[in-house]
Amino acid sequence: MGDQLARGEEFEMKAEKKLNSWSFLGSKYEDAADLFDKAANCFKLAKAWDRAGSTYIKLAGCHLKSESKHEAASSNVDAANCYKKTSPKDAISCLERAVNLFMEIGRLNMAARYYKEIAELNESDQNIEGAIDNFERAAELFESEEVTTSANQCKQKVAQFAAQLEQYQKAIEIYEAIAKHSLNNNLLKYGAKGHLLNAGICQLCKGDVVAITNALDRYQDLDPTFAGTREYRLLKDVASAMDEEDVEKFTDAVKEFDSMTPLDSWKTTLLLRVKEKLKAKELEEDDLT
Amino acid sequence: MSEVFDGYERRYCELSASVSRKSNSASLLVDGEEKNKLISEIKAALEEADNLIRKMDLEARSLQPSVKAVLLAKLREYKSDLNNLKKELKRVSSPNATQASREELLESGMADTHLASANQRERLAFSTERLNESSEKIMESRRTMLETEELGVSILQDLHQQRQTLLHAHEKLHGVDDAIDKSKRILNIMSRRMTKNKWILGSVIGALILAIIFILYYKLSH
Repeated sequence: MGDQLARGEEFEMKAEKKLNSWSFLGSKYEDAADLFDKAANCFKLAKAWDRAGSTYIKLAGCHLKSESKHEAASSNVDAANCYKKTSPKDAISCLERAVNLFMEIGRLNMAARYYKEIAELNESDQNIEGAIDNFERAAELFESEEVTTSANQCKQKVAQFAAQLEQYQKAIEIYEAIAKHSLNNNLLKYGAKGHLLNAGICQLCKGDVVAITNALDRYQDLDPTFAGTREYRLLKDVASAMDEEDVEKFTDAVKEFDSMTPLDSWKTTLLLRVKEKLKAKELEEDDLT
Repeated sequence: MSEVFDGYERRYCELSASVSRKSNSASLLVDGEEKNKLISEIKAALEEADNLIRKMDLEARSLQPSVKAVLLAKLREYKSDLNNLKKELKRVSSPNATQASREELLESGMADTHLASANQRERLAFSTERLNESSEKIMESRRTMLETEELGVSILQDLHQQRQTLLHAHEKLHGVDDAIDKSKRILNIMSRRMTKNKWILGSVIGALILAIIFILYYKLSH
């Protein structure tokens, strides 16, 4: 694809020349933008992602000068897509610019979607606080656009990361709100018990046994079918194991649940934390006695 | 003197009890060492019993007639008892020969019960194994069912999202429809204005040309 590279460079040079010259009728920005677009296309075909990305950014500049913010925002998004293949940070910065432009135009839906993308890039980059931030912003925008499903999804991710960072109260509130919302909807009510389980696990991580029993009763009120599920039984067993400070019982309950449905890594991490706390408490007690 | 008799009587009772016991167990045993041993023991015991009975007889006859009658009656009982025991012994020992050959012919007997119990144990283990397998299969199917349920829940969530997207798109389409109508109207207005302008321009140009022609005409005709 060497010729594509050459063609791309040709177009780019022509576009730069156009920009620098002063042409009649003030249409130079549109022409330059056109040429930049072609150039970026050739670079993409030649798989030169960096050059394509930089070309798209120049393209966005042209569009901004010609007052079409929407076009500018789309070119920023294209630039971000190219950068995703090479350096995520550049992609994130491009997307942020794009999001700001979208918000100015008033296309909150697209802005929210791109916030979600930024957050996912953050997640893959292990930048969890950034991810939480962006997911929260995305969730707010989705809610203002009444797209509740995506909002719930983003909030779920927020709660997941918050629990990982030990912000348990926040996670609990979010999960309970989602569960309440799901119960109203015919399609989603079967997923409610999963949310209640997650909320219950966060409650356990907080370590307050009274609160856990209260919470379990509350969940039963919310969802009458919850009491019969294995999740409820697991929570109850673990709560009573914490009460009696019996690590064996805890391990047994977890093993039983795991034998039926394998626990995913998030739940495993949190339950491990609870177990450590339990063991520490047990050792403490032994030390005192 | 009856004390001696009582002693003989007691001894005889013990012997008869043991003989009957031994002959019972001997009848259950297969032909072999044990049985022969038992049979010889029984024979010895029977001989001793015989001696005892003779002694008892002599004693009884040497006693007074009143006691003699009672003792003789008892003695007759013991004698018949002894005869029964002897018959038992004969029964136990004599069919041995025929028993042995029968057993050999039919290959049945004690070995069979050993085999039978081994067989039963095997079958028991087998059925336990089968039960375990089937409970394991049930657990496996339960696990699959739970997985399927989870999958179903996630599919429902996706469906919900798509439903929302579709509804949203539906609304947007209505909006787009209205916008298209508006733009059509605006374009119509624009084209009308354009034709109007063209006519005006054309008429102005025509008027100017006419004016120029008039002026030239007047200039030339003066």
